[in-house]
Amino acid sequence: MMRGKTENAAAARLDESPVAPGGLLLEADGIEIGFTLRGRHLSAVRRASLTLRAGETLAVVGESGSGKSVLAKSFLGMLDRNGRVEAGSILYRGADLARFSAEKDWLRIRGRRIAMVFQDPMTALNPLKTVGAQIAEAAILHRAADKRAARDIALEMLERVGMTEPARRYAQYPHEFSGGMRQRAVIAAAIACGPEILVCDEPTTALDVTIQAQILGLIKNLQRDLGMSVLFITHDLGVVARMADRIAVMYAGQVVEEGLAREIFYDARHPYTWALLASLPQLGLKGEELFAIRGTPPSLFKEIKGDAFAPRNPMALEVDFEFEPPFFQVSPTHRAKTWLLDPRAPRLEEPETVRRLRAKFPQGSIQGGTR
Amino acid sequence: MLRYMLKRFAQSILTVALVVLAVFMLLRLMPTSGYFSREDYVTMDEAARTAYLRTLGVLDDPFTQFGRFASALAGGDLGRSITVYPRTPITEILAEKIPYSLWFGVAGISVSMALGLLLGVMMARYKDGPTDWLGTAYVVVVRAVPSLIYLFLIQTAASRLLGLPMIFYADDVSSWILPAASMALPGLAWYAIWLRRFMVDEENKDYIKFAVAKGVPRGKVMTGHVLRNAIVPLVQYFPTQVLLTITGSLIIESIYSIPGMGGLLVYAIRQHDNTLVQALVLIYSALVVAGVFLGDVLMALVDPRIKLSSAPVEREAA
Repeated sequence: MMRGKTENAAAARLDESPVAPGGLLLEADGIEIGFTLRGRHLSAVRRASLTLRAGETLAVVGESGSGKSVLAKSFLGMLDRNGRVEAGSILYRGADLARFSAEKDWLRIRGRRIAMVFQDPMTALNPLKTVGAQIAEAAILHRAADKRAARDIALEMLERVGMTEPARRYAQYPHEFSGGMRQRAVIAAAIACGPEILVCDEPTTALDVTIQAQILGLIKNLQRDLGMSVLFITHDLGVVARMADRIAVMYAGQVVEEGLAREIFYDARHPYTWALLASLPQLGLKGEELFAIRGTPPSLFKEIKGDAFAPRNPMALEVDFEFEPPFFQVSPTHRAKTWLLDPRAPRLEEPETVRRLRAKFPQGSIQGGTR
Repeated sequence: MLRYMLKRFAQSILTVALVVLAVFMLLRLMPTSGYFSREDYVTMDEAARTAYLRTLGVLDDPFTQFGRFASALAGGDLGRSITVYPRTPITEILAEKIPYSLWFGVAGISVSMALGLLLGVMMARYKDGPTDWLGTAYVVVVRAVPSLIYLFLIQTAASRLLGLPMIFYADDVSSWILPAASMALPGLAWYAIWLRRFMVDEENKDYIKFAVAKGVPRGKVMTGHVLRNAIVPLVQYFPTQVLLTITGSLIIESIYSIPGMGGLLVYAIRQHDNTLVQALVLIYSALVVAGVFLGDVLMALVDPRIKLSSAPVEREAA
């Protein structure tokens, strides 16, 4: 696809009109992302579509290599050098981010519009710079008039993320912080420019469980106070249950099911989503082996025929091996990409474990999905 | 910090003292004929030689000799050269020679540091591009080709092309250019390749990606984060490199006839000039020890994680 310079300049102009809560904020459609690895082409994301609404938390779940992280990175132009968006559009405030290529354009987005929190707080901060300087760094670029104003913003952010004695913390170095505190500092730096969208790439995976809960609570509070949309990438369904308003399930570079949190947890339709839910260790029975999805995800170096999950799906239909299923709408907010929803498909019962989930986690224990 | 530095300083003195003691004692095991210049040795008979050795004091117990050496040293006296510059005080020899090596060394290191670091930054910034390719080619050539070959080439070809003198004349500034440039070549390659390497290492770290995600422009990321952090592993070597410039360069000083320190130690050893050898060993080892010490201090200044005291870093919980 040709991407001219004039086109880019036009694409970089952002529509500044306010988006009402629940309104469409970002719409990724038919995204294809490819990487060149030692001369071979890898399709990390294959025609994935996703929408993010103002003020909501969308959790993107899937196993390692499902493309969830890569998809989110493409919203900030943060793909590694050997990767690029090959097709599709990412509409955000009237601009198509998929067409951005110049750094100048991305600088209008990164940090100030869409910010990102990384997985490992132990490595996400520069060890040689004070925590405060790293928060102020973002502020001075986009928001603050001078260094003093940037410092004030950084102090305010430190306080916002729950640090006592912000002035002292400001002057400290990352190695003087614990993991949980570093993640708070990372979040402070990410929100310093007042972004509209906060991408959280497994922000609690590297933390221990008690700290995990604190950080999740912090993100929730910040989202409420600042009115941000949160794109939450995780493979931990427990975290999803706690955080998400909506859930998108990814498999082999595609979104295979998307819906409100309660629709995904209590009324999942895609066999892969069933398998994911059945893998929740909380659903295991004493004396019974825990459920695990058999096999491995398909190689993304090769063209995938039919439904990518079919080879691992004991309930796969013949058609799954031949044709890729389209999306079937389950409800206005819920859709799944599986032939099981085709009127011609045989009626299949969801697995026993998924039914157990409903018994174990009654409505209301899923904290998201209130919207 | 101060306590640590005092402790390290004491350790450094001890290290130098031990090195000098060891070399001093080893030199006493050498045949005594080394204390004579060639003519003296031939003209003197056995009794005269013994008498001469007695006046030198080298027939005494080695520890007594070392005591004498140490007390003279306390008075700033390094003794007199025996065979290389017969009977000349070593301090005088050094006072004359060190400035040449020092100035060429400092000129060389300034050029190599400035251009080498710049080249390293450019190679890392435009990695896999033509700059990187040319820079790597330069580094490979300088490091793989024996230095004599390109040094002679510079002396002959470059002097003709640029119309510069082939030999050093103290009063002709233009004759200083080629030797200074020659001094800079290997250092330039060293700085470029190591800075490039450390910068490329840093560039792949998470905090660089996070800085980019915050919206920091690439140029600022390169200088404020990548370069800033990549320089840390290099600063440790800066003091040693600067201090050791006074040892001079054996090859460059000899091909341009610069009366510097280059080769003096080798020459003194070959001529059995024990007093000169022990004086040079003292100076060089003191420089190396001081360089390492200053390098550690510099490291602590640029890396906040390094604390020069034994107090553990306190880390607070979330």
